[in-house]
Amino acid sequence: MKAWIGGVLALFCANLANADTLADVQSRFAAQTVVRAHFEQTRQISGLPQPLRSAGEMIFTRDDGLLWRQTKPFPMRLLLDDSHMVQDIDGQPPQIVTAKDNPQLFQFNRLLRTLFLAERAVLEQNFDLSFEDRGEKGWRLRLVPVTSPLDKLFSGIDLDGRIYLERVVLRDRQGDLTEIVFSDHRLIPAALSDDERRLFVSP
Amino acid sequence: MNAVFSSRPDGARRRALAWLLACLAMAAALLALLPQARINSSVLALLPGQSLGNVPPALQSAFLQRLDRQLFWMVSPGGEDSDPAVARVWLEMLQASPLFADVEGPVDEERQKAWGAFLYSHRNGNLDAATRARLQDDGKAQAQWVTAQLYSAFSGVGAGEITHDPLMLVRGAQLALMAQGDSRLSLMKGWLGTKDPQGRSWFVLHGEVAGPPDDMAAMRKTVAALDAMAGELTRRYPDAVLLSRGAVFYGDYAARTAERDVSTLGTATILGVLALIVLTFRSLLPLGLCLLSLGVGALAGTLAVLALFGEVHVLTLATSVSIVGISADYTLYYLVERMVHGRQASPAQSLAKVRPALLLALLTAGSAYLIMTCAPFPAIRQMGVFAAAGLAASCLTVIFWHPLLCRGLPVRPVPAAILLARWLSAWRRQKLLYLGLPVGLALLCLPALLTLRVDDDIAHLQSPPAYLLDQDKAIEALTGQESTQKGFIIHGDDPQQVLQRLEAFTPALEQAKAQGILGRYRAIGLNSLARQEQDLGLIRAAAPAVVQALKAVGLGEAQVDVERMPVLPDDWLASPVSMGWRLLWLSLPGGTSGVLVPVQGVTDGAALAALADGRPGIAWVDRKGTFDQLFARYRVLLSGLLLAALGAVLIGAVLRLGWRQGLRSFVPSLLSLGGALAVLSLLGRGVSLFSLLALVLVLGIGINYTLFFGNRRGTPLTSLLAVGLAMATALLTQGMLIFSATQAISSFGIVLGSGIVIAFLLSPLAMPGRGERGKG
Repeated sequence: MKAWIGGVLALFCANLANADTLADVQSRFAAQTVVRAHFEQTRQISGLPQPLRSAGEMIFTRDDGLLWRQTKPFPMRLLLDDSHMVQDIDGQPPQIVTAKDNPQLFQFNRLLRTLFLAERAVLEQNFDLSFEDRGEKGWRLRLVPVTSPLDKLFSGIDLDGRIYLERVVLRDRQGDLTEIVFSDHRLIPAALSDDERRLFVSP
Repeated sequence: MNAVFSSRPDGARRRALAWLLACLAMAAALLALLPQARINSSVLALLPGQSLGNVPPALQSAFLQRLDRQLFWMVSPGGEDSDPAVARVWLEMLQASPLFADVEGPVDEERQKAWGAFLYSHRNGNLDAATRARLQDDGKAQAQWVTAQLYSAFSGVGAGEITHDPLMLVRGAQLALMAQGDSRLSLMKGWLGTKDPQGRSWFVLHGEVAGPPDDMAAMRKTVAALDAMAGELTRRYPDAVLLSRGAVFYGDYAARTAERDVSTLGTATILGVLALIVLTFRSLLPLGLCLLSLGVGALAGTLAVLALFGEVHVLTLATSVSIVGISADYTLYYLVERMVHGRQASPAQSLAKVRPALLLALLTAGSAYLIMTCAPFPAIRQMGVFAAAGLAASCLTVIFWHPLLCRGLPVRPVPAAILLARWLSAWRRQKLLYLGLPVGLALLCLPALLTLRVDDDIAHLQSPPAYLLDQDKAIEALTGQESTQKGFIIHGDDPQQVLQRLEAFTPALEQAKAQGILGRYRAIGLNSLARQEQDLGLIRAAAPAVVQALKAVGLGEAQVDVERMPVLPDDWLASPVSMGWRLLWLSLPGGTSGVLVPVQGVTDGAALAALADGRPGIAWVDRKGTFDQLFARYRVLLSGLLLAALGAVLIGAVLRLGWRQGLRSFVPSLLSLGGALAVLSLLGRGVSLFSLLALVLVLGIGINYTLFFGNRRGTPLTSLLAVGLAMATALLTQGMLIFSATQAISSFGIVLGSGIVIAFLLSPLAMPGRGERGKG
């Protein structure tokens, strides 16, 4: 499911200064190859006295997949490429899901990841879309899932942005809410550095 | 006329009467034995005892029966349509028919809820391997994992889950089920299904044949009903595509092929034999007498096998009756003698003339077949006993009864006498024939024999049509499920023993997977009570660490329920959690249970078979592989036995006739076997068990031909006629199998046909004292 982020982050690729349509947003995706950003995540679970906050760095690439490196409150690495989904928690053997071993789990991830790379038609197959240009505050894309298993998990997903994608809000079916705020976007260098590439190696 | 010659009619009558009493006694004994006798039809029973891996036969056959019952369908509405309506119609059609049981399709919300409820209420007894590993060391890893799930934006963990299941054991179990679950299929609109690369949606249905899976009539009815229903479905939805898979389709096809063989070939055989006998003898009596001696032979053979083994295998019955069928030669030999010399000789005198040859033939063939009883394979031992006893009884029937029963037989001169006489005299005078033919044949055979190959593929016994294979392949591509049936059977005296054995075996499977010996295996996720008890210890030890971790993120009041929540096999089977797994488990009324662990992507079957060695209650099962191997073992064994039998024939001939004549009379036997194999090789076929079974018959038949010719009291011309008749009958009955649609059976026909033709051609070699003046 984390792969979903990959899709969201594809939006980084767009330079959206004065974009007013979804077509404009998407038409710019293809130009960018690597996007790096800092993220702050706040998860509000009803019944929990305080929200769960985490933070870290992420790298999204069109060709090598997505790397999600949480550093606070505990280190965790999530890597998603075309054939693997790897989760590393400090000191534990990595949890690996491969497309070959577990197509069912993977299919879901792939759907999420490709959603935002694909055309409007594909989005419309899985979500009800509404795109809104909010002037000064940038644009907002609201997605309401209409297919399983997305609709079992989320009641709605909001994507906000101006030049880059800046905020994602996920509303769970059970009333919980997750907000991810991205900052410090970097598009250069346009290819992965050697150090970065090393992080993408799946065990 | 008869009165003149019947010097000792009373003695003959007394002996006939005694034989009648003996036959009646045998029939009575058979009737007495029959109620307790088992007719064994399991092909696995042909294996030598050890290779069954000690799987209780009842368990094995219950599993096989269940496999044979399964039906599987995939329905696509066609095109871009993703509406399961067509699948629903197909489901309703199936459910409306009494021929099918347990037909299932959609997985409704209620089922999905019950699934979750079961996992929740049994979470402490239902640990999966990954969770178990995380719970070690007082749950440090589990605490981390729970925290990570909690923080993840996409895990969907809610307050309810943390409150009721702080260890997230249900989540672990669900992930494990998904990971082990069925390949490419997922839930689509409430149905298990998938999409193919062309974008077509496919929905899965499965069910069982309601009747016994091996009942041919029921099988026919089932397949006919399915065909009709499929026709209706495509009429109503012309775009829809239906794929079917099930043993019943193959079974029905094989039965129909066999039936077609029997009806077309059978008619030709009956008409041919009738014409042959009537044309030669101008009477139907010989046919009746042939059947009589065959019948008595079959009676004695069955009795002997039942008395010695307590059971008879269907395969033994079929092959042995054909062997005893060569006793028709005895009848024909005697009757030809009567037909030709009926005016000069009394039935008793004719008998005296042929009796030595008959007894010798019986002695030789009988001992050749008795050698086969040394084999370690029960079915071949049975065959040897059956053939020896049956041939003896048939021979005695000819000797005791036929002189009394053949009285109505018209006396005629030898038909085509001139042609036959020329053939015989050529054998005496033409070096080109008596030397050239055998040597030429041998030279022709040699190169073909050198290129002879072996072919133990059981698939030749079944030649499934393309439309079945295509559907199988399509289903395999859509689901990722191979249709090969390989895996392990793990069995024990009670369910808990089975589960413990499975648990002890799983590490070995994991290792084999890591080594690449197998691609995937599916082991049911049901824990033994002993393992559940250990797991409970892990849970209790790990709970504080998890509670502590939750407290750290602000969840102070997490309560972990560490009570026993035992999962018993019966509950598990009754719950929706076992959906898709249930078929792998089997419990017999006495408690004896077994579980199948299907394996895919096998690269080294021998290594997997070795995994099971030395572990009690675990057996490697590879249905096709086992059959192929079985065929190979029988083939090797039969080859050895045939050589031994040939040796026995040679020794017998040399002892009776001395080196020169003995060797000469051995040549037809040797060349008929070699020649038959050469013909098989020339036609591009490989040697299989079936060709060797045909050779067993060729050997017996060849012995008859040479001994009839070798009979010093006999007349070569009558011998030639008798042998020719015998050959024609054998060709019409068993040689006809050449035209069978099933490759294995046609190979049998090829070997038999060519073998007896060669035996016939060369049999004059056995004439006594070539160059002496014969009496014919």
